[in-house]
Amino acid sequence: MNDRNRHYDRNRPRQGSPGPEGFSDGRLVEVHSQIARDKQEPAQGFSMTPILVVFLFCALGFWAGLYLTRNSRGFSASAFDLNAPVAFASAGPVVFEPDAAKGQTLYLANCAACHQPTGAGVPGAFPPLVKSLWVAGDEKRIIKIIIAGMAGEVEIDGVKYNGNMPNVGVALKDAQIAHIATYVRSAWGNAAEPVMDASVAAVRKEIGARGQYSPKEVLDAHPLGN
Amino acid sequence: MKNFRYLVLGALAATALPFVGIVVGAQAQFNSLGRAPAEEGGPLMPPLEPGQAIQGRQVYLSLGCVSCHTQQVRPAGQGGDIAGALGARPSVARDYVLQPVVLLGDRRIGPDLANYGVRAKADADVHLAILHKVGGRDQFGFLYSGANHEIPSERAVMLAAYLRSLRQDYSSPEAPLK
Amino acid sequence: MTQEQRSGRPDEDRSRLSRIDAPLRAPFLLLFGSAALWLMLSSALSLLTTLKALPAGIGSYEWFAHGRLEAAARNAFVYGWAGNALFAINLWLLAQLGRFEIRNGWMASVGGLFWNLALTWCTGSVIVSGPGAYALLDFPVGAGPVLAASFALAGLWPVVAYAKRPTGHNFAAQWFVVGASVTFLLAFLLAQAAVFWAPASGVVQAVAHSWYVRTVHLLWLGGSALGLGYYFVSKVLARPLHAYYLASVAFWTYFLFAGWTAPASLIGSPVPLWIQSIGVVGSMMLLVPVLLIGLNLLGALSRDGGWFRAWNSTSLRFISIGIVSLLASLAIAAWASDRSVNAGLRFTSFAEGQNLLLLYAGVTFCVFGAAYAALPRVSGGRWPSAAAIHVHFWASTLGAAGAAFAAFAHPSAHGFISAVSAALLLIGHLAFASTAFAALLSGVPAGESQPAHD
Ligand code: HEC
Ligand code: HEC
Repeated sequence: MNDRNRHYDRNRPRQGSPGPEGFSDGRLVEVHSQIARDKQEPAQGFSMTPILVVFLFCALGFWAGLYLTRNSRGFSASAFDLNAPVAFASAGPVVFEPDAAKGQTLYLANCAACHQPTGAGVPGAFPPLVKSLWVAGDEKRIIKIIIAGMAGEVEIDGVKYNGNMPNVGVALKDAQIAHIATYVRSAWGNAAEPVMDASVAAVRKEIGARGQYSPKEVLDAHPLGN
Repeated sequence: MKNFRYLVLGALAATALPFVGIVVGAQAQFNSLGRAPAEEGGPLMPPLEPGQAIQGRQVYLSLGCVSCHTQQVRPAGQGGDIAGALGARPSVARDYVLQPVVLLGDRRIGPDLANYGVRAKADADVHLAILHKVGGRDQFGFLYSGANHEIPSERAVMLAAYLRSLRQDYSSPEAPLK
Repeated sequence: MTQEQRSGRPDEDRSRLSRIDAPLRAPFLLLFGSAALWLMLSSALSLLTTLKALPAGIGSYEWFAHGRLEAAARNAFVYGWAGNALFAINLWLLAQLGRFEIRNGWMASVGGLFWNLALTWCTGSVIVSGPGAYALLDFPVGAGPVLAASFALAGLWPVVAYAKRPTGHNFAAQWFVVGASVTFLLAFLLAQAAVFWAPASGVVQAVAHSWYVRTVHLLWLGGSALGLGYYFVSKVLARPLHAYYLASVAFWTYFLFAGWTAPASLIGSPVPLWIQSIGVVGSMMLLVPVLLIGLNLLGALSRDGGWFRAWNSTSLRFISIGIVSLLASLAIAAWASDRSVNAGLRFTSFAEGQNLLLLYAGVTFCVFGAAYAALPRVSGGRWPSAAAIHVHFWASTLGAAGAAFAAFAHPSAHGFISAVSAALLLIGHLAFASTAFAALLSGVPAGESQPAHD
């Protein structure tokens, strides 16, 4: 019965002798193991094939290296177009990315002493930044306060303050201020748009070197709620 | 046995290597990619998607529109997309940062939709496009009611909002508009 | 080849052979039987997708949306047909080559059962609630782990058979099949991770997806098919392969380069240039193993009337066509990865033609050929009808040729030719499946295992 099964090709659609299959599995494996051990074609003598293969391999490898260096624009993440001017592509991403994580580090170093790491402030002394209308809305308000500081009487969240915030921002770079503002405007339940370094630069240019703001000055220029 | 270990570990390494090279490599590059302003101080692009469009993407996905439509514009030197007015500039990775799944597509039986929102005019036209009338039959008629499929269902409305939100017509740092 | 070698040389211990074959029967029946069912389902669904507009009756149902049918057909073909069939055939092949007597074969059956249940769930969900964004990854999220676990039960047997082989013997077919089997599980898990569990950002998902698809196509399916090629070419011709000492180089270069070809499918897409360029380079480098494999297999076929004898052997006729198509598709892929060529071909039906050549005319033909040898041996039955084999061969070959012509030369996806070809394929698969079932079921009932005779 087994014999019958092994002659499966008797069912072949065409004529031809219905011999059993060729190699047995054992023989098949043995023959090839033998060749692999001897590492060369039996009974063929010297063969050009391996040399040609090695040659082909080297040539392709060389081409691959060349192609990659020519067509990947220095592995830049911002190169998508092979025909774009090279100068642009190799300049890399010059774009500023407002980054709340960096902002948090900077906040802890520059602001948390007064406004507390939680942003809750100290009632009567340092006003809260949590859900503060001053923080949300027009980004120029917070940028101005950070750069120039603020002093004077003001009522925030029903609590009166008459404090003095120094001009923390003069010593900070535009990008750093942008990170801080982005962080403050997105942390603790605040939900305002990120701030770009370009906006900080613009405000800095606009206000020039000046003393602290009074709360009234800030509110006149940027009323709360927008 | 020694053979066996080489074989299995080698095959696993050969499989994983390209993953590390291109997928992990690309993720490392794009991890912090975010929106960027079109020009200095301008609004961040791509714009946030309206809520209806976000739901509409789900409809687009579930109806398999991606099997016939791509959403990507190739650079001018690489095929005729720009010449064929499919977009004003090539698509770049930043255009897709807000999308939870990226529907680039691989087959254009219908036209590319990356800038359909720019082309679309009246609402009625968008719904007409969605219906896909072939040989007098509306292929997506089940999204509508009425004798001539003139009343869009809620899903059709969301889908239309999604299609209208598709636009890459703003300048991007990697692909500025000329 | 002398007549003596080809005719009834008492070759090996037959009782031992039946000890190897007999316990494979139950898992084989389940796995290959479901493979045949999936093949028919997938060809029926493909036929529907080629119709320009669906018949009035069903055209107005959401379930029959083009994208859903297409995705379901693709999943049924790759995971249902090719997956199940390769579980069965690869296990059988490595058991033969390694003299492996399977124990605990029920595990393969259980794995196969869950694989098929999960696939049914996936296919149903594609039809009822829609496909996902990424071809071959459009499962409900919960199905991923089930598929992975059942693959581990049903698909890793070749590895066991290789590890446990009593002789230290080694043959290229074993490497390809073992490599292919371990590859899939890893690729599947990594892709699930990059797309579902910890989604990569934006277009990186598309990169991960292209890598997964290429790995499944070339390493899992293509690698297994090449293993079948190495086995059957040498076995049926009863001669060693040509320049066999290069086979290990062929194997390693194939496995090393195949995955890197993936981003060639993203040329012009919004992924960085360097990723696209790696795809181009990978596709070209893959020509090295293509050449070596061609030397091994086609070299053996080209000597001493090998092609003629291949034509006269049911198995080798399918398999030699399969190998030629597979290698041709890889060569064409290298050509099409050239940026200027690609510019004209991308987004057309060219990619469909490529897949057809690789997965159907390549992998599926190899599986057909192997099935004609394996099924009767495992089941103890026989192929009931030569005419059915005839119908199967010609319908499948003409259908594949027509579909390839439609995809490569004819721009419209819904052309008349594609519909006729899809119908031919369906006919061929019906012929194949019905004879396969007859062969599987006509054998000795599993309980009464074959006596060790002689
Ligand atoms: C030395 C303590 C101190 C530091 C450091 C400080 N602030 Fe202030 N901040 C104050 C005080 C006090 C006020 C209230 C000023 C007033 O009463 O006019 C204030 C007010 C503000 C306001 C407006 C009111 C509100 O609650 O929204 C903002 C916004 C603000 N600070 C942000 C910051 C940021 C950001 C930093 C870090 C760059 C910072 N501050 C650092 C003390 C400080
Ligand atoms: C079978 C393939 C196919 C599928 C599936 C498909 N479309 Fe189309 N689509 C086309 C073709 C072809 C055209 C061009 C029709 C024409 O020009 O008359 C088109 C045109 C369009 C257009 C108009 C484009 C333009 O630039 O005017 C829109 C919008 C569109 N489709 C959206 C969709 C949506 C949404 C889905 C999913 C519900 C979808 N398509 C599914 C093939 C398809």
